[in-house]
Amino acid sequence: MNAVQRFIRSRVLLLTAAILIIAMGLSVLIQGQSQAALNRTVDENSRGLYDILVQPKADSGVLLQPDIANGSGGINFEQLESIRGLTGTSVAAPISLVSRVTQNVQAPRLDAMDYLGYNPGLVGTATVEQPGGANPSSWPAAESVLTDSAKKYRLTASAVSSDGSSEQTLFETSAEGSVGKARIVETQTQGGTSIQIAPAEGETGIKFPAPAGGSVHNLFNLSVSLPTAPEITESVVAVDPVAERALLGESGDFLAPLEKAPPADARNAGAIGRHFESLFTSGITPKELEEGPDFLGVKLKYWAPLMSQYQQAKAKGALTADSQAIPLIVRSGTTLDLTYKVKIEELDASGNVVKEVGTATKSLGEGYLPFVSDDPFALSWPGSTDHSGLLGAGGNFNQGLYEPAEWSTDFAAAPEYSDAGTAANGAVAKTAVPRDWVTVNRLPETGLDGSKVDQTQRDPVDERAYREDLETGQKLAAPLPMVYGTFDPAAVQEAAGDVNRLPLGGYDPTPLTLTRDADGDTVEASTLKPSLSATGLASQSAGAITDYYGLAAARGYTDNADVIDAVRVRASTGGSWKQAQPEVEKLADKIRELGLEATVVAGSAREDVSIFVPGYSKDDAGKESALGTVQQSWVRQNAADAVSGSLTGTNTTLLFLTLCGAALLTGASTVSYVRKRRSEAGTLRAMGWTQGRIRSWVLAEFGVGAAMLAVAGIILSLLSWSLVTAVVSVSVLVLYAAAAFFAAQQLRHRDEIDQEPQHDERLIPVDSPLTFANRQLSTNKFNTVALAIAVGVFGASVGGLIALLIDIPRAAGASALSGLAAASIAAPSIILAVAGVLVGLILTLVTGRFELQAKRQYLGILEAMGWNPDMLRQVRVFENALVGTVAVPLGVLGALGIGLLVAPYAVLWAGLAGLVAVLCWIPIATKVVQ
Amino acid sequence: MTHEPNLQRTRRSGNGDAGLQTRANTIVKAADHATPLGLEDITIRYGGDKGGAESVSVVEGFNLTLHAGEMHCVAGRSGSGKTSILTVGAGLTLPTSGRVFWEGASLETMGDDEIADRRRALIGYVDQGGALIDGMSALENVLLPAVPDGEVKQRHDMAKDLLDLVGLGRRMRHRPAQLSGGERQRVAIARALILGTRVLVVDEPTASLDRVSANRIISILKDTTNDGIAVLVASHDHELVRQSDTLTELI
Repeated sequence: MNAVQRFIRSRVLLLTAAILIIAMGLSVLIQGQSQAALNRTVDENSRGLYDILVQPKADSGVLLQPDIANGSGGINFEQLESIRGLTGTSVAAPISLVSRVTQNVQAPRLDAMDYLGYNPGLVGTATVEQPGGANPSSWPAAESVLTDSAKKYRLTASAVSSDGSSEQTLFETSAEGSVGKARIVETQTQGGTSIQIAPAEGETGIKFPAPAGGSVHNLFNLSVSLPTAPEITESVVAVDPVAERALLGESGDFLAPLEKAPPADARNAGAIGRHFESLFTSGITPKELEEGPDFLGVKLKYWAPLMSQYQQAKAKGALTADSQAIPLIVRSGTTLDLTYKVKIEELDASGNVVKEVGTATKSLGEGYLPFVSDDPFALSWPGSTDHSGLLGAGGNFNQGLYEPAEWSTDFAAAPEYSDAGTAANGAVAKTAVPRDWVTVNRLPETGLDGSKVDQTQRDPVDERAYREDLETGQKLAAPLPMVYGTFDPAAVQEAAGDVNRLPLGGYDPTPLTLTRDADGDTVEASTLKPSLSATGLASQSAGAITDYYGLAAARGYTDNADVIDAVRVRASTGGSWKQAQPEVEKLADKIRELGLEATVVAGSAREDVSIFVPGYSKDDAGKESALGTVQQSWVRQNAADAVSGSLTGTNTTLLFLTLCGAALLTGASTVSYVRKRRSEAGTLRAMGWTQGRIRSWVLAEFGVGAAMLAVAGIILSLLSWSLVTAVVSVSVLVLYAAAAFFAAQQLRHRDEIDQEPQHDERLIPVDSPLTFANRQLSTNKFNTVALAIAVGVFGASVGGLIALLIDIPRAAGASALSGLAAASIAAPSIILAVAGVLVGLILTLVTGRFELQAKRQYLGILEAMGWNPDMLRQVRVFENALVGTVAVPLGVLGALGIGLLVAPYAVLWAGLAGLVAVLCWIPIATKVVQ
Repeated sequence: MTHEPNLQRTRRSGNGDAGLQTRANTIVKAADHATPLGLEDITIRYGGDKGGAESVSVVEGFNLTLHAGEMHCVAGRSGSGKTSILTVGAGLTLPTSGRVFWEGASLETMGDDEIADRRRALIGYVDQGGALIDGMSALENVLLPAVPDGEVKQRHDMAKDLLDLVGLGRRMRHRPAQLSGGERQRVAIARALILGTRVLVVDEPTASLDRVSANRIISILKDTTNDGIAVLVASHDHELVRQSDTLTELI
């Protein structure tokens, strides 16, 4: 029988070689796939819209605060052109905060349906193009929510705002008066018949304090003028539309109209206002009214606000020769939570409430546009139907803010944070240092008619200014907003990507999520909403985007002033982050040579930072309270390299732990082999074989296995072309060879005669299954210790592998990229860990087989003596429990050791997993012996 | 290939009634003590697997009634089913068909625990070669059957007496590895008797022993029958066959 035949016959050797080859192949294959998945994930998510963030100054450290456009400037246009001129620059897109702009929402009103039906005298201007037109049959019958005779009502108007954490009532004002159905009164005059809409008999009307204007009847409604809604502050940023579109790609197409804005010297507000004013005299078609008149190739859908504000500014004398129109792309909608309510109660003559009519409600929402009132801020009396469409849509002419917005250069700089600790996985905690209190919710000084406003109807609200005021810039003549289009901030954020998403300045404020209350208790995560003042903790996307001529008009600057807050640079090198990294680094160095701070953001990722916010709110007594802890995404530089390096290390450790288990299995198999073949070796010795020949005989069998392993290792190394594979293959081969020499050494020696002494009286007498099991184990010390070590190794390997799995997220770091990267290797890691655990389990089974035959024999003897099945089961359980008792400290300490070395964060879990693994082994082994 | 069924040839030299067959009866009557072990129409068949191996019938239609104080020898060539009959009689394995009675009670009606308890009280089984537990002294091996009933201490002196009886009084602290084959057999016999066994089932007690040692074993077995213990022994030792009261020879 040759060595190959003997190798095949010796099932232990064959099994060992097979397990090693399978373990090696699978582990390397899985590790390779895992590494590829990791690299792919990191590459795909490490390069965003731009590679380098250029700022005049930058904080030290690798964690970037989210705000990059703060109005502080610092980069001039000459430097911008220099960046654009550098080899390797593809796009250099500047961004600056222009201004904070405060504006009033159009005066709110409550419309109570009081439709008077068709009257040729009142609809005389209607045309056939209108839904109702001049055709009486198209007009429904008159209807009203009001009664024929005037009734007394109390209207209570209130506005409530929420920051996502708590609600705040901004004001609550009541007004009483009687209203009823309007009447059509026809009087004969000299020229013919005069038709008027008159109030009901005895109607007093309802009048809130100024600047509200009272109630008035029209053809369709009774309109009650409501108290002015709170002022809203928006921010405006400036970009270079061409560069910005190059940066954003298709999602930046909303900026196209801005490219057609007139040059700086053709933006005189007076001239442009007069141009639109002339449209009234020259006539405007309904189509133009709907789409907006053409202005230098752009249909200005929202032209009415410009014109009405032009007229107001002119009337107030705020319009000067220097006033300029500022082209704007405004944001669609708002995340500001502002709800306006009017509660309607019917009263008797004594002023007692007779009936609750209902509550009319309206919120700022998607219909809201900064600088433009998308539609009148009208609340609807319960039960009302709007018939005003019978006279056709008013087009955009009815839209608009009548009060010019107030532009301010009280910029908001980045919030001030101080460090408050770092978690085990690198997650950072901060404290947001509050700034001064600011007062919002104020009323305008005068109403539309110039009358003084009663300031007592609304209490000012204090809000914490988490931002720093910068007294820079200069007051210029009031500019007029000229709305060129709208943008959807969500679409821009989506284009920027989620992982490597650096704030794109005005479009992309990072959200703040409240996670713990002021007492430190976990709360249901809720996103904080921006406040009215825009100086609070949470902010929303810029209200509008303009170009740098717009910035000049609002702030004024001389040529080549340092007004650029930041420049976002994309390198011309394509490909993944790893491929582009050298060129990006080179480009960053060149930018630094210009005297600017260049931060390489390619390869970075978002990372949640916990921020404790003290002094957030104030009660009536002026006592300040903390908000709690909020989370906000900051940006971790070099996250890609950190994640990749850490997870690669973890993966490789998993691989080696699994193969270490395979190596121990080889050792155990070898011992088993030696025991089985000892009598055969004795026979050969009796036949006259020399020790050398016996050793050669043994080594030849192992040689077959070694050859198989070598071939497998070479094939795997060539296939994977990885150093790790080669190292693993050589390591396994060396271990196998060591086992072979050990076996040969053991078998070539003669057996020693048993010199065991007589029975030791100090031994515990056998009088129960427990003492029997104890005696068996103490008699067969080698087997017991070998099995206990194997079980301990099993426990340690389980503990270590579990700890590694648990530790993967921490090892990957706290950034958003780490979550994706860890997820990409989760499945292979689990498979590797399960393979390691299986190898450990097989190791215990191989070691347990040393004594399996003997165990079955003495259990048979006991059975023959009348030991019942329960007692035999007890013997098996006690034996394994005693082995387990020895193995527990080995397993737990081993697991703790591995945990400390490779996954310190999860070291306790490692110990626990090691303990559980050993405890689980006891019933498994008991079942196997049975 | 199918083995020919064993032919059973019975010789009776005592006063037992070879033709008496007991029936299943779970109540032990006084008369049942006289016939502690009965085998009725026992058939033992091995083999038959998916690989195509045919089943082998080693014992077919075997009957035996063993009386108290009687030594019955089952003789036959190797592979004739001697050990199989012993293990079936000791309740260690189940026959393919047929019934086993212990003191008149059929094993068919008993659960594993009851069989174990009854075996401990009734049957002393001595394996071929006298299987002992390594790591335990001769005395401890003898005391092992007393463990389930918690009578180790109470039976300590009796165990020493039994070891004296089998001529091993001075070897009681030796372990199995330090005893010869004959000594291990004698320890096993002493162990089988420790609980006041009424049936001693002994498998090839003299195999691979020299004549002197074999005769000593045979003498011990004969002595036990004098105490009213029934002995069922499997052997092809002529001397043992000669000294047994009854004989079944499997062909």
